[in-house]
Amino acid sequence: MSQVPGWWRRSGVDLRLLLMCVLLVVMAIVFHLMSGGVFLTPENLYNIAQQTAVVGIVSTVMVLIIVARHIDLSVGSVMGFVGVLVAYLQYSSGWSWPAASLAGLAVALLVSLYQGGLTAVLGVPSFVVTLGGLMSFRGAAFLVADGKTQPVNDEFFQRLGGGYDGGIGTTATWALAFFVGIVLFARMYQKRRARRRHGMPTEPLWIELLLTAVPVLAVFAFAAAMNSYRISSKTEAQGFPIPVLIWAVVAVTLSFIVHRTRFGRYIFAMGGNPDAAALVGIPVKRVTMMLFALLAVLVTVAAIVSIARLNAGTNSLGTGMELYVIAAAVIGGTALSGGSGSIFGSVLGALIMQSLDSGMLLLDVPIGKRMVIIGQVLIVAVVFDVLYRKRFGETG
Amino acid sequence: MTKAPPLVELRDIRKAFGGVKAVDGVSVNLYAGEVVALLGHNGAGKSTLMKMLAGAYPIDTGETLIAGEKVSIRTPSEAQALGIETIYQTLALADNLDSVANLFLGREKLTPWRTLDDHFMEGQARKVFQRLNKNFTNIRVPVRRLSGGQRQVVAISRALYFNARILIMDEPCAALGPEETAMVGALVKQLKADGVGIFLITHDMPDVFGLSDRLAVMKNGRLVGTYRTADVTEDEVLGMIIAGKRPDGKAEALHATA
Repeated sequence: MSQVPGWWRRSGVDLRLLLMCVLLVVMAIVFHLMSGGVFLTPENLYNIAQQTAVVGIVSTVMVLIIVARHIDLSVGSVMGFVGVLVAYLQYSSGWSWPAASLAGLAVALLVSLYQGGLTAVLGVPSFVVTLGGLMSFRGAAFLVADGKTQPVNDEFFQRLGGGYDGGIGTTATWALAFFVGIVLFARMYQKRRARRRHGMPTEPLWIELLLTAVPVLAVFAFAAAMNSYRISSKTEAQGFPIPVLIWAVVAVTLSFIVHRTRFGRYIFAMGGNPDAAALVGIPVKRVTMMLFALLAVLVTVAAIVSIARLNAGTNSLGTGMELYVIAAAVIGGTALSGGSGSIFGSVLGALIMQSLDSGMLLLDVPIGKRMVIIGQVLIVAVVFDVLYRKRFGETG
Repeated sequence: MTKAPPLVELRDIRKAFGGVKAVDGVSVNLYAGEVVALLGHNGAGKSTLMKMLAGAYPIDTGETLIAGEKVSIRTPSEAQALGIETIYQTLALADNLDSVANLFLGREKLTPWRTLDDHFMEGQARKVFQRLNKNFTNIRVPVRRLSGGQRQVVAISRALYFNARILIMDEPCAALGPEETAMVGALVKQLKADGVGIFLITHDMPDVFGLSDRLAVMKNGRLVGTYRTADVTEDEVLGMIIAGKRPDGKAEALHATA
């Protein structure tokens, strides 16, 4: 059993995540060359980014569900159900979009109370509960509006989905990029100071500067790309798409929950050793209920982004999405056996899935072949996961 | 003879799983600064009895008194609040978390902003681990990568750091090397001297005679008897465990004699 070298481990960089970043870059370059220079254009990147957001938002929390040794197969159906409901309340019942969205959230929370309750309190496997939910809530999505498509017309609401007016503009984009850069460097500095104050070893400054500079540069590169995409009928470039910002906020919030709160730590403890979690006094049922409630909140957010992007709620919204969501989490290094996974990994996983899909679309690969390939990529990811854990001794 | 009430008094405790009477009318007590060994075959009900005291299982019927006061322990947290700490045979560690997280699991120290105070916890963890094992420094790796002895240190530290008044040790030396077994033995003696009451579940006769003041033997969920360890021989103890036979002419010791 070999070990990752010590200096590498201490630097806090996950080798697997680094490999995935490399994979993403390689994939982008290959697609760019094969598509004759279309893949790495601002327009295509803008579209990929905003298309990935919906799956990405749900994937972040799916990581936690899987870490806690559960699964939710009903996310696509519940998102469809909530999405149609929010659209229906706006279009057919004349509600304002905030009221309709809150009602959607309330319904999603009720669903989580039901499914999470069966799982947490009665101990019914979440696989079974949500497999039933996969069917039932797709049916419920149909029942809400009798299967009729519900258009969404509110202009502000539509911006939440990206699209024509869905960017925040160039100035705000640069400002945000600078803000993120400052925050990241400030955090690095503050961490170093705290470690010194508590008499703990710190890494050489240049290593930490480098480790902070890389993500900052990535943010700036993305900002530059988004700021050079201008829709021909508009005078200003798009800038960051709003759905991507929502996704970013969700990912940062969930990372915070994982690393800095009790709730996050308990989720990992429950996944690592459920018996131990109960024996040391972790309120397992309550934590599980809260986890499903968090999922409900983010499914609602995804539903809102999704109908805003499509400008309509349809009963087929989110069909098959559970597979993409789970695949993104797994490709991002979440172990299906529980106890291990990272939010940032799911972000990369979702981007890899979407880039692959879009790249093949650009190359005119027919739908059948695309499905075959994406399915097998998921298997490759799991095989890699198994081998990686064996090599670095992360099993049992 | 007037004396301080026992630290723990379990009266007529019963517990059934389905139709099986796992613990059937057992009464046993424990005084401060005393080690009581709980003996019996696998499935005799020792661990079940202790899990009820630790709050992991609810009691069907029976009374629990802590320092003379009647209490009802429904969850592990309530047991911990009464100063009852448990070191399980399985160690009850979350393998994917590091030693610091495991030490504080369920009782994390929070900052005023309700976030985890990692620096505080790491500092405290270093101190308590140092006390038990000078060579234990890789405290930030997942505990699955640690040796059996190091994992044991983490499990014991959980009891030590939170100042156990009553300690339940379920086979603390199973799967340990001789050096670590000696460490556990020394620790038991030290805690005893500090006035901690210890229930020691074990199969190991040298441990029983080396560490315990009294011993209580269970068979098929019932208590065979409670004796001063010094009063009985190893053969008599084995007779109680295997055949449920009380030794002839020996008086039971229902209270600490020290």
